[in-house]
Amino acid sequence: MVPISLYFHIPFCAAKCAYCDFASYPNREGEWARYFHALWAELESWKGALAGYEAVTLFFGGGTPTLVDAGYIAETVGRARALLPFAGDVEITMEGNPGTLAPDKLEACRRAGVNRLSLGAQSFDDGLLRSLGRIHTARQIGEAVALAREAGFVNLNLDLMYALPGQDMEKWRDTLERAVALGVEHLSAYSLIVEEGTPMAARVASGEAVVPGDDAVNAMQREAVARLAAAGYGRYEISNYARPGFECRHNRVYWERGEYLGLGCAAHSLFGGCRFANPDGLEAYLAGGRREGFQRLGRRDAMEETLMLSTRMTRGLDLAGWRRAFGEDFARGREDALARLEKAGYAEVRDGFFRLTARGLEVQNAVVVELMEE
Amino acid sequence: MQYDQSRIRNFCIIAHIDHGKSTLADRILELTGVMKQREMTDQVLDSMELERERGITIKSKAVRMPYTARDGKEYELNLIDTPGHVDFTYEVSRALAACEGAVLVVDASQGIEAQTLANVYMAVEHDLEIRPVINKIDLPSAQPEVVKTEIEDEIGIDCEGCPLVSAKQGIGIEDVLEDIVAHVPAPDDPLDAPLQALIFDSYYDNYRGAISSVRLKAGRVKVGDRIRMMAGKCEFEVTEVGAYLPLGYSPREELCAGEVGYIAASIKDIADIHVGDTITLADNPAPEPLPGYKPVLPMVYCGIYPADGADYETLRDALEKLRLNDAALSYEPETSVALGYGFRCGFLGLLHMEIIQQRLEREFDLDLVTTAPSVVYKVIKTDGTTVFIDNPTNLPPVQEIDWMEEPCVDAQVIAPQDYVGAIMELCQDKRGTFKDMNYIDGGRVVLKYDLPLNEVIYDFFDQLKSRTRGYASFDYELKGYVRSDLVKLDMLLNGEQCDALSIIVHRDRAYPRGRSIAEKLKEAIPRQLFEIPIQAAIGGKVIARETVKALRKDVLAKCYGGDISRKKKLLEKQKEGKKRMRQVGTVAVPSEAFMAVLKMD
Repeated sequence: MVPISLYFHIPFCAAKCAYCDFASYPNREGEWARYFHALWAELESWKGALAGYEAVTLFFGGGTPTLVDAGYIAETVGRARALLPFAGDVEITMEGNPGTLAPDKLEACRRAGVNRLSLGAQSFDDGLLRSLGRIHTARQIGEAVALAREAGFVNLNLDLMYALPGQDMEKWRDTLERAVALGVEHLSAYSLIVEEGTPMAARVASGEAVVPGDDAVNAMQREAVARLAAAGYGRYEISNYARPGFECRHNRVYWERGEYLGLGCAAHSLFGGCRFANPDGLEAYLAGGRREGFQRLGRRDAMEETLMLSTRMTRGLDLAGWRRAFGEDFARGREDALARLEKAGYAEVRDGFFRLTARGLEVQNAVVVELMEE
Repeated sequence: MQYDQSRIRNFCIIAHIDHGKSTLADRILELTGVMKQREMTDQVLDSMELERERGITIKSKAVRMPYTARDGKEYELNLIDTPGHVDFTYEVSRALAACEGAVLVVDASQGIEAQTLANVYMAVEHDLEIRPVINKIDLPSAQPEVVKTEIEDEIGIDCEGCPLVSAKQGIGIEDVLEDIVAHVPAPDDPLDAPLQALIFDSYYDNYRGAISSVRLKAGRVKVGDRIRMMAGKCEFEVTEVGAYLPLGYSPREELCAGEVGYIAASIKDIADIHVGDTITLADNPAPEPLPGYKPVLPMVYCGIYPADGADYETLRDALEKLRLNDAALSYEPETSVALGYGFRCGFLGLLHMEIIQQRLEREFDLDLVTTAPSVVYKVIKTDGTTVFIDNPTNLPPVQEIDWMEEPCVDAQVIAPQDYVGAIMELCQDKRGTFKDMNYIDGGRVVLKYDLPLNEVIYDFFDQLKSRTRGYASFDYELKGYVRSDLVKLDMLLNGEQCDALSIIVHRDRAYPRGRSIAEKLKEAIPRQLFEIPIQAAIGGKVIARETVKALRKDVLAKCYGGDISRKKKLLEKQKEGKKRMRQVGTVAVPSEAFMAVLKMD
């Protein structure tokens, strides 16, 4: 059986956050049913293409999947299971907002097969949470984790954010401490990306919000690595940390260029050697827009993608895998650049992998550009 | 109109910048009817976009206008517009030599200013009848009587009954023309002598070839005549003669002594026409040319490269086109390790250089990288031979150099006496040798210095302007070569020499220049993965050092779900950005860095 991952985009939320530029719509309860029917129809349309495949991971992302009725999630999982076999250890993740959880909802999802919950905690500072436009408080994060545990979830993630306007090292340390204290299995620590067109971008442009400088951001990131390592969370990707055996398998599929189908609006796919995506907007999706920006990946695309994705992981780029895929050594034509990078302490080759050091990960873009072919 | 020298008036308009010279010229064209109002774009004579924008005239132009004066007689007025910058001093002097009079425009509220005086002195030197005109009398701040007294006291020109005008409102324009008719002397040139036509400008016309703008000082010329360039030594057959009208040519049967017009003779290369040369007839040549001819030599050189190597051909074509109209521009292909293929270009001065660069960028939509301007150095080698170097890269190895010489200019600065101290300080700073100082009327001083040309091209003009608040006028003339302790200053990036950044500089200047360039490069080169040492060195000895620290943070925190397109785009952009930079060894240098070096403190 060929492994595949499925991503379902749930583009609904209770309120738009200040930094968010994803496809996510508040106040659309009236369209939930229509949307899920379209989603299921899209899933059905893949039936023939999925022959011979086995689902290894499912992921409900958003938006806020925990906002909608659990029945929609359960029905989606059920329809997928009817379409293709699931691996015995299938990982089914659902993202959620700590402010939208209820015991029965969580139990229903758990019963439907969801076995991993990823909560957008972002911060344990109520002031920062407010300025981010989050609908929950720090206290609700703890309550959400307790609810999830009661519902039987043994694999929990919290998303945290740093490099926030108004956030200093002390606040960040406090957030890390309190996240660790909750004893979750997985933590993501994302540096804020100020996206164009968001309220956050307007605040930064007007000077109302000031983003910490590069050095301060690096320091926060290093603090996360150190603090989380001490608590037993290993860094396995630029922004991701897990207790042994709890790395998110779904996300690893993205970084390792495994095949995945994205269903719903704004969902991206890598399937059959091609990348494509559904339209970003809810309306366009409901109007029947599917599979846009179709791109067949050539050898060079595959090489560049491998380089830019695998070097996000601390494990690094599999040199033998590269040779198998492309019929040549990774070092070929990159001898000088590799030597310079290693000498400067950005990268190293060890145990058959080319990997970036902690310092190298801080400038991963520049390292990748350095290693891209002309 | 019948040819009658007594009815001809050849004049120019001189003024401080912004005192309304071009607007007055426009009104005169309108009033004499050669331009209808609806045909007028602002400032007709400044036809180049750059000229209009910068308010400076770059090329000389002549326009003929018929004018029926109040005495009932018809006159032929020739207005010759002149360039207004020290780079073009020689061109201006030839244009003035073609006139009998000059209209001096003074702003009624500003009064006499720096350039007013410099222009007046030049006009006096050419024996021109100077006719003051007080402009902008419509402004509330206008004080025409005060300004008149100022002119009388400081310049010593009688302002009794001088025209009070507002060129903008069209007030008093006729008075200006009447004043010209009444007071500018008519030419008095011998018609029966052999032809002597003074070339005061040249330019290229697609149909007529290279054209000479001329003032006939003697004789006559007509279609079919065989003409000879007395300094240029070449001969051509005249295909057309005539007068200029603002919107085009007005062919005539012949041009006669005292007249201003053009001569076309199917001349392919504008380099055959030398401004200041005398045109005569091949079969009846004048015994000698008109005085004042000087061959025009480029004084300043720099390398011009396309920012994108693929634009090399476009750049070559563009230079060729500009050269058609600009005999003073020279260019030759050259290559640089850092910048690739480009051209070594020669200019009259820095403004000329700047204008050419801007025209290349605007009119031909080119992105350029320009190297530091250089003068032509004379190198006497140990084997006794002499070479001239206009590109520091071509300097022979130190051990082959016996000694070096640099061009030196006779410089003259005129300014109010309050600024004498500031000017002397500047000239000292610039390695000048004091020669002479004279007080002239109006509390002004003429200072004479010998200055090395390479100091003049390095921010002298800007410094002079700022230290004298624009009140000093500056003029220079190449004097010759003097022996000098010169060294080649190299810039090293991560240990690799960057040829495009080398300059030749006096040993005493090497340390501060090296430091300043290193600092500017540090600002201009973006942080990269690796620390970049920047060094300034003379003959391998490092004299200044800066460091561009390594990049601190450059990472995208999140791959958005399975959407890797943003990251791909970002990296693609970074890759493109890197490609646009110049690779010097392992260091990527943005084009701006090469320009930053040209900028002064």
